[in-house]
Amino acid sequence: MRANDGRRRIFKLQLLALLPVTLAAILNSGYQYLGGIAAAPASGGDDLRGQLARGLASSFENPGLYDYFAAGLAHLLPMLLLAVLVGGLWERIIAERCRRPIEPSFVLIALLFTLLLPGAASFTHIIFGMTCAILLGKGIFGGDGKSFLSPALLGVAIVQVSFAGASGTHPLWSGVAGYAGSDAFALYHRGGEAALAQADINLWSAFFGAIPGPLGTTSLLAVALGAAVLLLTRVIAWRLLAAQAIGLIVIASLVNWMGAETGIGSMPAYWHLLLGSFAFGAVFLGCDPVASACTNPGRWIQGFLIAALVMLIRVANPIHPDAVIPALLLASILAPLIDHAVIAWSIKQRARRHV
Amino acid sequence: MPGSLDLETRKITRLALLGSDYRGVNPELLCQAGDEVRAGSAVMRDARRPAIQVVAPRSGIVSKVERGSRRKLVALHIDVDDTLAASEFTRPASMEKEAQREFMLGTGIWSSLRTRPFGNIPDPAAEPAALFITALDAEPLAPQPALIIDAYAPEFSAAVNSLASISDAPLYLCHASDYRPPYDESSGAISAVFDGGYSAGLPGVHIQALCPIGFAGGEVWHIGYQEVIALGHLLLHGKPWLQRVISLGGDAVNDPRCLLVAAGAAIDDLLAGEVCDGPVQMQLGSVYGRPLEPGPAYLAAGQRQLTVMKRAAAEASSEESAVGALIPGDWLEALAPPGIFPVPLLRALQLGDAERARELGALELVEEDLAALSSACVSNSDYGLLLRRVLDQLEAAR
Repeated sequence: MRANDGRRRIFKLQLLALLPVTLAAILNSGYQYLGGIAAAPASGGDDLRGQLARGLASSFENPGLYDYFAAGLAHLLPMLLLAVLVGGLWERIIAERCRRPIEPSFVLIALLFTLLLPGAASFTHIIFGMTCAILLGKGIFGGDGKSFLSPALLGVAIVQVSFAGASGTHPLWSGVAGYAGSDAFALYHRGGEAALAQADINLWSAFFGAIPGPLGTTSLLAVALGAAVLLLTRVIAWRLLAAQAIGLIVIASLVNWMGAETGIGSMPAYWHLLLGSFAFGAVFLGCDPVASACTNPGRWIQGFLIAALVMLIRVANPIHPDAVIPALLLASILAPLIDHAVIAWSIKQRARRHV
Repeated sequence: MPGSLDLETRKITRLALLGSDYRGVNPELLCQAGDEVRAGSAVMRDARRPAIQVVAPRSGIVSKVERGSRRKLVALHIDVDDTLAASEFTRPASMEKEAQREFMLGTGIWSSLRTRPFGNIPDPAAEPAALFITALDAEPLAPQPALIIDAYAPEFSAAVNSLASISDAPLYLCHASDYRPPYDESSGAISAVFDGGYSAGLPGVHIQALCPIGFAGGEVWHIGYQEVIALGHLLLHGKPWLQRVISLGGDAVNDPRCLLVAAGAAIDDLLAGEVCDGPVQMQLGSVYGRPLEPGPAYLAAGQRQLTVMKRAAAEASSEESAVGALIPGDWLEALAPPGIFPVPLLRALQLGDAERARELGALELVEEDLAALSSACVSNSDYGLLLRRVLDQLEAAR
């Protein structure tokens, strides 16, 4: 009994940690949507989500907190419901075929998956991504805790690769590079901080999350609150999180020091931390206990590896997208190898002992 | 009576010696049901190495010899009769190794020594790589070794001298930083301080830190502080120490405290009038200990505490208690013995991969070292049981 309690406890804590992120996602997508509509009244927004927003919000012209919340909810809720529905359907089919109870984790996977998509993501893509997440990320491995990848991460990665060119005229597509994340890095590369300021991105708006981007990834504050919950309850390993953060700061400083005057190479470490989905990915995907290294030295190595990969792709790639998803995926795949090396080293140490 | 503790003595009517406590021996009984035994007289010995004896902890009548499958000894039950005098022993003639070992074998104290790897009773002719005295107990609600050792300071000190002479290997006296047990510095015993959480009191942790076991086939021995006092009692007074200190704790116990009881005492006797009404869960050892099956039960050898917890009335359904996947969370790290990678080891144990488990340090461990991990892991596996299976395989392969 206590074991199932334990699994349920972790599940609840993970949901609790995602609560501030979800709230920030709702508020920010409403803010971005209403801002976009105000700037260009003709731009899209007449789909199901737009009509729902119109129905829920009281005023589009003079929006208050409630209107932002309602417009955001109108975008996030249908996506989340669809993801939960698709995930639940596959989970049920797998559970019946494997004669095991339904594992509630599909709700968590659906939430993480939704939070990693832009607010205007196509419903077809959500169905496709969630199907891949549950089947390939969890189902074929036999269920919770048996996979070596985070299912939500896998789903998003597949959507990102499959629909690389996806975008549209919808207000929530502006400021994002398809499914790949934030446009802010390309902006910085072209025009430095002035270009960011022109797009209404400053340190504070990035910290609170009032910038364009995938739904849940914009607010560093909300992510930090979630991380605090997970760290205090030891659901995630502090070493892994610390390694990612320290790695990013160290490598970004190194790149700055080596020296481009302008362009992405001159972007300071704090912008790397604030923009894009690095913080969200590091806490909720990179530190997924099932999909990361399980030895302490392995955790340090994996964390630095993630940070190094993110920086490498951000700096070396001429299009400068966010790079967090592919970096996390690669590090997740390498995690068992890292553990293997750490254990082999430790066995050698043990063999040297005298008794 | 020298060395008295200000503790309540619990009168015990029945006790039992459990076959499972004496690993590595093939017990041959020296008495039958109905026989009169005296405290300190041998009741069984190893068929292969007759020098290894197990003695009766109290005088009384052997009431039943309980055997399990393949006539394996499950328990030897004794009805306690304290009017019978205890056996008397003459002190060892010299501090020579042979004389000291012979004394320990003859008085049955030898069977309180345990080896790592495997947790067996050591061979009388073997040489350990190191000897450990565990003079601290960091389990929640455990008795304070400081009080007990101080009450029996001369006995403890005499026993440390004796243990230092039974082998040429270093003798480590492991204790907490806030209490240094009294012992004779000239004995050559080395004091080692251990602090930290629950695991600081486990012999596995001390061994890992001071004399880690590699792959060369060596072994170390360890002994608990109460057994050390028992040895000292025999050395100084020529008579066995009839008591052991056991702490009674948990939220279902009306008056949690330490009691003086006989080794192997019946738990029914011990708990009479101590536990509140309602469903309870009894655990041998601390909250991390092994849950006790319903039915008559007895204190195991070296047992220092008994925990009784209130339990929710609802029983776990079979579906809920099924073994699931291991979630390799960070919380497992803090409960693992230092120097051990918990998740790879637990995975190897789940798979029954004896070779990998050996490489990951299973030889340093016995069941008790993994008790906290078993209770914290969400997979519902009993890693102590899995570890013992792996150790049995490794032992058979030696």
